[in-house]
Amino acid sequence: MKRMTTSILCTFLAATLLAGCGSNNNTGNAGSGEGDKAVTEKAKSVTLKMFIAQPRFKEHYDKYIADFVAKEKADKNIDVTVQLEMPTADNASQILKTRLASNDAPDIFAIHAVNEIPSYYKAGYLEDLTSQPFAAKLLDSVKPSVTTTDGKVVALPLETLTWGYLYNKTIFSENGLTPPTTLTEMKAVVEKLKANKITPFVLSYKESWIPQLVLPLAVGGMMNTKDPEFVNKMNKDAASFTEMKSAIFDVFDLINSNGTEKATEVGGDDGAAVFAAGKGAMWLMGPWYAETILKSNPDLDFGVAPLPINDDPNATLINLSASTSLAVSPTSKNKDVALDFLNYVLDDEASNAFFQSLKFNPVATIHTYESYPWINDAMTYVKAGKSVQDPAMPQAVKDEVGKGLQAYYAGQLSQDEVLKALDKAWKSFNKVNK
Amino acid sequence: MPVKSYKKYISLLAFVGPAFIFYAIFLLIPTVAGMYYSFTDWNGLNPNYSFNGLANFIEALREDPDFVNSLLFTLKYVLFMVVLQNVLALMLAVFIESKTRTKGFFRTIFFMPNMISTIISAFMWTFVFSQVLPQIAEKTVMKFLDQLWIGDPKYSFYSIIIVSLWNGVGYMMIIYLAALQGVPQSLKEAAHIDGATPFQAFRNVTMPMITHAITICFFLTLNGAFKVYEVVYGLTGGGPGRSTQVITMNIYEEAFSNNFRYGYASAKSVILFVIILIFTFIQIRVMKKKEVEA
Repeated sequence: MKRMTTSILCTFLAATLLAGCGSNNNTGNAGSGEGDKAVTEKAKSVTLKMFIAQPRFKEHYDKYIADFVAKEKADKNIDVTVQLEMPTADNASQILKTRLASNDAPDIFAIHAVNEIPSYYKAGYLEDLTSQPFAAKLLDSVKPSVTTTDGKVVALPLETLTWGYLYNKTIFSENGLTPPTTLTEMKAVVEKLKANKITPFVLSYKESWIPQLVLPLAVGGMMNTKDPEFVNKMNKDAASFTEMKSAIFDVFDLINSNGTEKATEVGGDDGAAVFAAGKGAMWLMGPWYAETILKSNPDLDFGVAPLPINDDPNATLINLSASTSLAVSPTSKNKDVALDFLNYVLDDEASNAFFQSLKFNPVATIHTYESYPWINDAMTYVKAGKSVQDPAMPQAVKDEVGKGLQAYYAGQLSQDEVLKALDKAWKSFNKVNK
Repeated sequence: MPVKSYKKYISLLAFVGPAFIFYAIFLLIPTVAGMYYSFTDWNGLNPNYSFNGLANFIEALREDPDFVNSLLFTLKYVLFMVVLQNVLALMLAVFIESKTRTKGFFRTIFFMPNMISTIISAFMWTFVFSQVLPQIAEKTVMKFLDQLWIGDPKYSFYSIIIVSLWNGVGYMMIIYLAALQGVPQSLKEAAHIDGATPFQAFRNVTMPMITHAITICFFLTLNGAFKVYEVVYGLTGGGPGRSTQVITMNIYEEAFSNNFRYGYASAKSVILFVIILIFTFIQIRVMKKKEVEA
């Protein structure tokens, strides 16, 4: 009996192996078949290497690339073979850096727009894409994220973020509240919530990138009103974070003194669960946690609103930035085809469905699909001009502020010490990147 | 004679060669390269970099309070771990050795935590510290259990120690158990007949006989404690702020998140390497002298 089972299993295994080979052979044959045909028409064949660290979207990319290959064949009679590499996001940037440093750059690769473009551009790994047709289609709110300081578009944004803080719409409407536009109004909202025995804020500071979120909002707001040259001045070592002191800490203190307890033990996922359970009315967080929130409470009605940092309503702004973006290597041997692909990503007809299936936000004028309610909330603010580009602060400063604000919350650092550490981080960034 | 010694080297190479090639490719060459980069200002990406002599080392020790603080925190951790881990492991080993019928049971129980990977045990304990203990405090009168075990730097150090000990003691215990079983029964009986108390017998007979195990265990705990990473990463992530940041975390942060200063981070790793080298060298020299043969 046992031998019987074994032999059946063996047969099955062998069969699957053969089947696997079979399907490979089939595709191989099909490919060479097309190749034969192409030879008669003297088609050019080209291999395009792509490096996109989003394995969760593999099917979508595969399908879109297949469409592109068909289009390229039809339009220009080029046989394109695409080698798509999709490592996990954790080690992708390490792999990519190794490739670039060893002159083995993929033709098209994905990088983080705000964090990585400056250093990659400086090292000469990004092709200038300003004159490409797609650049003209980008939304004005998105374009600055992929533009270098000297005004060149060097990447195509795929994922964009529009965020401020999240609020529980049900709690707000039950208490007759609307998102406040100034800090005084915010204080009134907090008082009203407290009077009705509702904790105003969910705090989750275990991971240092969460308290860090207050900095882009504060600096963005200030740069749009009183201090437009802040980042430029900081890059020249000519300013200090003390200018931002009240912008950062007035609202941060308000949030901290009216939040849930044990914040240093609550991470992002736990915070999402607390917020989804309605244990706090607001949460300093972007809509990228929407999926997690809806998983623990599918009926939660929440929205995105800009965080007030002082009593100037013009400083209460939604933050706009881009993350995953596609860039082309200047050393690519098939640059024309690579550029064709980038333009195809924002193709007038095909692009809409692609971005919608990936659940990305609209990035170009040609995107007309319906997005999520919370994205629409944010876009309403953006359309009303209540938005600001994510200030181009060095990653080191963002890391430092997360650690600093964590320590500030735990009572280990004073406000001035936090600001001093930020100044130091920016100075050392200037020194390293001279 | 020359032919014979030649043959000897051939067979030596044949046995060592394969392992040595892998060792060289994956450990030796990267280590040397890392030391080389520690004298440069390479940022891990730019093909151009320049030598800057000892500047990295001077900056790390003089102008980087975070690095120095993490170094001190690591030293404190090493001190607690080396002492507590060895004392507890030896106590457990003696305790288990004194049992006859339940020996196997206790040995398994105490060794079990070592079979769980460190990072998973850290996540398990995160749950215990942040959910279970506060619940216990609520249900019983033991109010002192309701602390910010991992969120408050005053307590989080002890939380880290607790988890590291829980995870690491079992392994040392096994080494001590093996050593205890190697102590000749005749010596113990002789001491007993001479009228030694159990404590005297342990101090003057058993301890000298297991010194070689103590050497190994001290070496392992010292080495391991300097290189601690997962437990701290899993429990506190070095936070809040940098209050529980260990030296390996500081190096990682410098190389892979802050300004990507690979050269500078390599210099810090070299400093760590030198510190570990000195400590273990002294430890081995001192302990080797005390070992005796039966």
